[in-house]
Amino acid sequence: MAIADLGYLLTLPRFDHLEAKTLEEACSLLSQYKEKARVIAGGTDLLVLMKRREISPQYMINLKTIPNLDYIRYTDREGLRIGALTTLHEIECLPIIGERFPILVAAAHQIGSPHIRNVATIGGNLCNAAPSADTAPPLIALGARVEIKGLNTERTISLEDFFLGPGENALRTGEILTEIQIPNPPPNTQGTYLKLPARTVIDIAVVGVAVIITQHFKDIVDARIALGAVAPTPLRARKAEDMIKGKVVEQQLIEEVSQAAAEAAEPISDIRASADYRKEMVKVLTSRALKQVITPG
Amino acid sequence: MKQVIQLRVNGELYEVRVQPWKTLVEVIREDIGLTGTKEACSTGECGACTVLLDGKPVNSCLVLAVEAEDKEIMTVEGMAQGGKLHPLQEAFVRHGAIQCGFCTPGMLLSAKALLDENPRPTEAEIAETISGNLCRCTGYVKITEAILAVAQGE
Repeated sequence: MAIADLGYLLTLPRFDHLEAKTLEEACSLLSQYKEKARVIAGGTDLLVLMKRREISPQYMINLKTIPNLDYIRYTDREGLRIGALTTLHEIECLPIIGERFPILVAAAHQIGSPHIRNVATIGGNLCNAAPSADTAPPLIALGARVEIKGLNTERTISLEDFFLGPGENALRTGEILTEIQIPNPPPNTQGTYLKLPARTVIDIAVVGVAVIITQHFKDIVDARIALGAVAPTPLRARKAEDMIKGKVVEQQLIEEVSQAAAEAAEPISDIRASADYRKEMVKVLTSRALKQVITPG
Repeated sequence: MKQVIQLRVNGELYEVRVQPWKTLVEVIREDIGLTGTKEACSTGECGACTVLLDGKPVNSCLVLAVEAEDKEIMTVEGMAQGGKLHPLQEAFVRHGAIQCGFCTPGMLLSAKALLDENPRPTEAEIAETISGNLCRCTGYVKITEAILAVAQGE
C-alpha cells in the first residue's frame, strides 16, 4: 500500500530539486524562478509547510551543497559571526557561544527537539520569520545584524529590521541571508531568554522574553528587552528599557518595567493562548528574567 | 523525474530510484523495505521516524532521500550485530520498556547515539536525549530505566 493511501500520513508536493554549488548559483536560480522557488537549509520548517500544502514551490534550491556557509568565528574586536547554515545544535554546543553569549545557547536549546536541532539552521529560524522564532529576541537584544547577499549585491541590516510580518522577511528576490553578526557585549553584561511553555519540547513559544542588562555596581548602565510571539514580529520593548536605564535596582522598578514590557506587546488570541494571557505572561517572564540577571545592590 | 541514488544503510549500499519529493523515511520503508523505522506525525514532532544520520538522531520524515546520499544511515535493524541484540535492545526487553513497540526503534536509536558519545549519562541527560521521542504507552519510566541500566554497565 503506498503511503498516499493512508489517510493520516503527509507527503510532499512535487518539485524539482536543484543543488546549488555556489552562492552565485543559488542567487541566480532564485532570480530566475522568483516566487516559484524556495531555498532549503535544514528543511524542518520548509518541509512541514509544504506537507501542509501552505506553500508549494516548483523549484527547491538546496543551500547545504554550498560550502562555507556553516561556521562560527569570534574575535574580541568584531564579536561573533555565525554562518547562516550553522545548525542549532552547533550553536548549543560550541564553547565560545556558551562562554560569551549564553543567552543564545538558552534560546537554541529551547527550539524543537534534539532531532530538529541536529538539522535546523539559525538562518532558517530567522528567514522563516515566525513571530515566535526563539533565536530572534535574544539576537535582537544583542544588537545583531544580518548580512544579505544577492546576485551582485551585498548589504547588512539590523536584525530588528529583518522581520516585516508573520512569515515575512526583508529578503528581496534573489537574495539569501548569509551571516549573523553579533557585537561583543560590554563587560558586566548578563542576559537570559525565557520561554513559555517552559520545559516542553517541540512546542513553539507562546511568549518569549529576552533580557540583557549591563550593570555597574548598583546602576543599570544598559538594558535590552526583546519580546517574541506577542506581536506580528519579534520586537524591542524600548519604553520598558528606557525606564530602567541609568536607574538603581529595586523591586518596585522591576514591577513597573515588566508592566511596561507587557504594554509593548500586541499579541493575538489563538489556539495556544489568549491575548490577555500572553500580555500577562510577558509581565511575569520579564520580571523573572530581570531578577535573574540583575545583581541586587 | 526519478533519479538513481545510493544510500548507505546499516553498512550496506542500496541503489534506489526516487523522486526528489520522497522523504528518507518513505524510501527506507517502501523502496529499501526496512520497516523498523516508523512514520507517525510526518512533521518532525514525534520522533517515531528517528534514524541516525552520520551518528546523529534526526527525523527522517523531514530529510529528503536525495539529501541522504554520502551519509551513514543507521536504522533499528542495524543495531543487532551477528544475530545478537544490542545491549540497549536487551535492556529494553528486560526492563519492560516496550508496550506497543511503535516508539521503540526511535527510542533505541536516540539512546544509542547518546551512549556512543557519552557512555555514562545522568538521568537528566537521558531525559533530554529522548525528549524528541514520544511514547503513548509506557510513561517513559521503564525506557529511562533501561537506558540508565546500560549506562551503569548492567
